[in-house]
Amino acid sequence: MALAVFNDGVRPFMLDFIQGRSTRSATTAVSFGLSAGFIFGLGAPMALSTGVLNPWLVFLPTDILGILSPKKWIAPLLGGAWGAVVVFGLNGANSIAHDLPVDFLTALQQMSTPILFLFTLFPVLAITKQFGRLRGGIAAVVELALVVMTMKVWPDIFPGSIAMAVGVLTLIGFAVNKDLAQRKADRAEAAKSAAAGGLPPEVKNGAGDDAEDPMASLFGASALRLRRHLPLFMLLGAGVCVLAQSHVFGGGEATSFLIAKGDYAEAAQVDFYRAFGFVPLIATTALASGAYGIAGFTFVYPIGYLMPNPFIAAVVGATVFALEVLALSSIGKVLGKLPSVRDSSEHLRSAIGDALGLAILFGSLMAANVMGGGLGILIVGGLYLLNESMGRPVVRMAAAPAAVIVGGVLLNILYWLDLFTPIKG
Amino acid sequence: MTKILTGGVGKAEVTETVKKLGLDGIEITVSNDMDAAMKLRGGQADYFLGTCHTGAGASLGVLVGLLGKPACHTFGRSVPTEDEVNALLAEGKKVFGFAIDQIDVIAPLMARAIAARG
Repeated sequence: MALAVFNDGVRPFMLDFIQGRSTRSATTAVSFGLSAGFIFGLGAPMALSTGVLNPWLVFLPTDILGILSPKKWIAPLLGGAWGAVVVFGLNGANSIAHDLPVDFLTALQQMSTPILFLFTLFPVLAITKQFGRLRGGIAAVVELALVVMTMKVWPDIFPGSIAMAVGVLTLIGFAVNKDLAQRKADRAEAAKSAAAGGLPPEVKNGAGDDAEDPMASLFGASALRLRRHLPLFMLLGAGVCVLAQSHVFGGGEATSFLIAKGDYAEAAQVDFYRAFGFVPLIATTALASGAYGIAGFTFVYPIGYLMPNPFIAAVVGATVFALEVLALSSIGKVLGKLPSVRDSSEHLRSAIGDALGLAILFGSLMAANVMGGGLGILIVGGLYLLNESMGRPVVRMAAAPAAVIVGGVLLNILYWLDLFTPIKG
Repeated sequence: MTKILTGGVGKAEVTETVKKLGLDGIEITVSNDMDAAMKLRGGQADYFLGTCHTGAGASLGVLVGLLGKPACHTFGRSVPTEDEVNALLAEGKKVFGFAIDQIDVIAPLMARAIAARG
């Protein structure tokens, strides 16, 4: 029905499909082409290393299957079948891995410390990229002070929580402030040119309205289309929220490792702040294409982790989705006036990538060390470098965890050949 | 002067990479998807280079909607050859999306091809 796709890259192409300018098979091909690398390169390695499902493994294939389905009723059947394959496949792979002499899944829990602590810093990176070295430096000092203070004063809370919250709020504050100042300056300039007998303000405003018009009409039509299917979206929201509540699913790159370790509150925090990097992207692509995100603005993930039982999760998830879809066009309007806020979300996403890139690489090497000492580090680090030099056939974010899995298998083979003695932990 | 706008996750990196090449006849500035779409429609800019993790989401979202798919192309996560890029430019494609971890290869390739067209 082309109502929601998870892949932010596929959503833009849905408009042509909805309007009948592109065929079902062509759109399926686009979806597969853009998703394949993430399913096999990110989703599968992450799920295998953590034993926790993730959006890339679950939602990207359902995108493809959904677009592929010629009839409406076939889509849920295919989606359900995929879900079963994933769950049984993962459980099987998991129990086999834990019984091996070199248990690489337990070793991967090493990853959660670097992820949690380095992720704390991502607002600082975004502030530096968007607002320069001075403000970035100040933000870094403030965050560090907050982390140290939290450790001293509230030892029960995760030290990064407050720092992360302050960091994200500071970034958004800077951006909103910049946009408001810019609008004020624009208005003052318009008034000045009018007073100087230049272009009358009506002309300028008129031109501005004209320029905004195509966007407004495109966005309006899409928002209306999505609203018409509100009940279906509520069902979807309920489903995703229940999935998150069941704690077999992690919404982000970092979260899978946290969920695997049982750190649900931390996972919720990480995914909540992560969502700010995606809200503007999901809102604008949804409004431009008329296809929403399967997980919405991804706020249902953190809410889901914290829900006490699946029933409340379903109700809350449905409500969140309803609110999101109804608010979509006003969010689009506000974002249209706040270009710096949209910039911030792009910087946040790139900062998340940078912070997690280092954290996951470092965590993977720590896992390698636990598994096989120097030999482990050689295999895992070596595979990572090899992937880099080959032009990254595996997405960079997943290369290191994937290397841990391959390294784990290799070490087990070496053990079996009597060439390696597992390190007792 | 050919005007190129950048957007998406790696927009600063793309702009920096292309500026470092010091090519004549092209001007590249950091922008964002909505502004760029309006400027391309209004003829105030000629090309858009967008980047994100898939090569098509953040980079192309609004542009495909407003300029139509015929004007847009995504390389996804693949690296195109010089001939492919030239063929796409000859077809009249104006909006290009690619993956953030391929900026070092694709951004110079695109900039040189655009500059060569004059």
